[in-house]
Amino acid sequence: MMRLLAVAAATLPLAAAQAAEQNEPPNPFSRAIAYAQARCAKIYGSGAGREAGYATGIVVSRDGLILTAQGMYLSGERLRVVLADGSRHEARVIRRSEKLQVALLAIDAPTPAWFELSSDSPVQPGDWVLAVSNAFNVAAGDEPLSVSLGIVSVRAEMEARHRMQDVPYEGDILLVDAITSNPGAQGGALCTADGRLAGMLGKLFESAATRTRANYAVPVEMLKAWFAGGEDAGATPAPPDASGRSPGPQKPALPPDLGIRLFTVSGERAPAYVDSVAPGSPAQAAGVRKDDMVLAVGDTVVRNCREFAEAAGRLKPGESVVLLIKRGRTILSVTVATACPPAGGAGQAAPATSRQEKQP
Amino acid sequence: MMPRLRETPAPCRPAALVLAAALVAALVPLAAPAAEDAPADPVLAARAFRAAAARVLPSVVTIETYGGAAAPPPPPPQERTPPGAPGRPAPRRRAGALANPGEGPTTGLIISSDGYIITSTFNFLRSPPVITVVLGDGSRHVARLCGRDETRGLCLLAIEGAAGLPAAQHAPPDGLRVGQWVLSVGVGYGGDEPAISAGIVSALGRLSGKAVQTDANLSPANYGGPLVDLEGRVVGVCVCLYPRGGSAGEGVQWYDSGVGFAIPLADAGPVLERLKAGEVIRPGRLGVRPARGASGPGVTVESVLPDSPAQKAGIQAKDVIVALGEQPVRDVMVLRALIGACAAGDTVTLRFKRGGEERAVPVTLDAGDEGLPAPPEPPSIDRGGPGRAFSMRAGAAPPHRRDQQPAQFRRRTP
Repeated sequence: MMRLLAVAAATLPLAAAQAAEQNEPPNPFSRAIAYAQARCAKIYGSGAGREAGYATGIVVSRDGLILTAQGMYLSGERLRVVLADGSRHEARVIRRSEKLQVALLAIDAPTPAWFELSSDSPVQPGDWVLAVSNAFNVAAGDEPLSVSLGIVSVRAEMEARHRMQDVPYEGDILLVDAITSNPGAQGGALCTADGRLAGMLGKLFESAATRTRANYAVPVEMLKAWFAGGEDAGATPAPPDASGRSPGPQKPALPPDLGIRLFTVSGERAPAYVDSVAPGSPAQAAGVRKDDMVLAVGDTVVRNCREFAEAAGRLKPGESVVLLIKRGRTILSVTVATACPPAGGAGQAAPATSRQEKQP
Repeated sequence: MMPRLRETPAPCRPAALVLAAALVAALVPLAAPAAEDAPADPVLAARAFRAAAARVLPSVVTIETYGGAAAPPPPPPQERTPPGAPGRPAPRRRAGALANPGEGPTTGLIISSDGYIITSTFNFLRSPPVITVVLGDGSRHVARLCGRDETRGLCLLAIEGAAGLPAAQHAPPDGLRVGQWVLSVGVGYGGDEPAISAGIVSALGRLSGKAVQTDANLSPANYGGPLVDLEGRVVGVCVCLYPRGGSAGEGVQWYDSGVGFAIPLADAGPVLERLKAGEVIRPGRLGVRPARGASGPGVTVESVLPDSPAQKAGIQAKDVIVALGEQPVRDVMVLRALIGACAAGDTVTLRFKRGGEERAVPVTLDAGDEGLPAPPEPPSIDRGGPGRAFSMRAGAAPPHRRDQQPAQFRRRTP
């Protein structure tokens, strides 16, 4: 930490900031703030509809590479970057990541102050973090970017939505309790109290679980993996099965038949009550009974008939699955060994994991 | 599966106190430049936050609901507009101010070793027929919804046959101070660990004395979860209340805004007993229309609503209400606050003047026509309007639509 601060102080391009610092009482964050502000940029593109035409970027190399968040503002014909010293540069998009919803820009100018992308996360829940961004485009020209203070709330996977649409983000996010979900903040830096980059403020989206805006950052080591890799690198630090790119539209899969017929007269939003169990079926063999209620299929909680159908539809032929069953007021788990489908039913080659599932 | 904070052996209490003291010292320069050179150590603060959260975590449970009111399905792909393109607004079905309650788990807090769990009414806006609770050890139990307190936004769950559960420890209410550090803890985002948010106590005695106000982030991610002090003791239960009343869940429009409310439980024993008995506690109604422009002290009655508690108690127009119980009533605002502290079914002594003579009558408040929760609205809403019926309950304040706000603002002063 001390070494890093020394580096920070030595490379600060803003001599004025240092001078000002000497007259102020010590503040645990002032150096980190100045360090980060010198390494972020204002980005101006094209606005569209309710999307802001501006954002923030993080300088990640000495030769003009800048990371930012995906957004409509990148799709205009003109893209400008304003560095911390107020200098303006034309920029172009050189790479995009669908999984992380980030983009890499380049300008034709040296950028002597840049952030090192770390391969390890420097933060854990409870740590102070500083969010540095041009939220609401408040800062103009060489004015320093806005800073807000918060803590890391949790590191988690999140099912993301924006305006009723799924956002194809994959991997963990760092949720923070500073409010960062504001126009223009996307692409800003999330820093530790000693100036290390912890992540990049991401594209605006909501949590499907809470329907609230997520104040979050894409973790730095995921940025690093993508930045260092040639293509859209795996989203999690420990690379899962790197089986290429995610599939496009989901193909309908033919699930194995568990032999459970649900009571669906009340609609697909009703709890998954078992109406009947087919004689000789895997479910009957496992002891599932009429009037049982299915709470979970494997690790997936199914809150209604529709979710049961979705979860059961993702099962593979021959797979054994643990069903969590509510019978009266007791909860029991049963293991259902699904049969391979009869001949002719196995036409589909289900993509191994068409959708990454949450694992506890 | 279970929320767990990694790391951190919880410090013993003196250590926590030292930490807290050091924390305050460390952060003073942020709030106002201090003359002394206080050693600033953000690392210490983070440790204190983690330790506090870890202490309460065994009492935090995950609530899952099954079935219940429908949410509209997402539009089929061909109808979706590209991101950012102007298009017709998506159809919305609102529960409170949120387009829909979320789809994820919610948070509850164990308050007794025999299986009672307190949580927020927000978590059951869909009226789910089946509720389960996942405890800290990962075990899942069917839960029964006992009673609810609409004046506090709380409800009580029970899991049968439980014993030896880790009940949360409450912070002594007289020790609470405005400005002290608090943390909200919730599992509403799902995942393996709870989400925590740090803030301070912003005010005490809010919402007619029922709530503590905080600037820690409160949202569906932690409604029903604890707000704790740095020793991990429960300052209050995070709830979704809105000072201007409105429908259930209206308070969610203030989620993550820096204004949030938590209900202290240390003195809530009688309320909890009622909830265990399955009672529904509703806001109380008096049923008088106050005269406007009348000079105080006291509240001059313009008229009495028919079939209201006030009418049953014999209150008449031109009576001047001067006290409720032992509390003097200076003006309408005071009367509102005093009524707001009561619930339907409570009997209070109303003191009033009629023709220079002071009288006292017992009045039993009722819940009025509606059964919806509605805390008292602030007086500004009435100001200048025609003398509309003053039922001592929230009328429908104009709903603030969250989606009309350009974005969230948040001011933070550690």
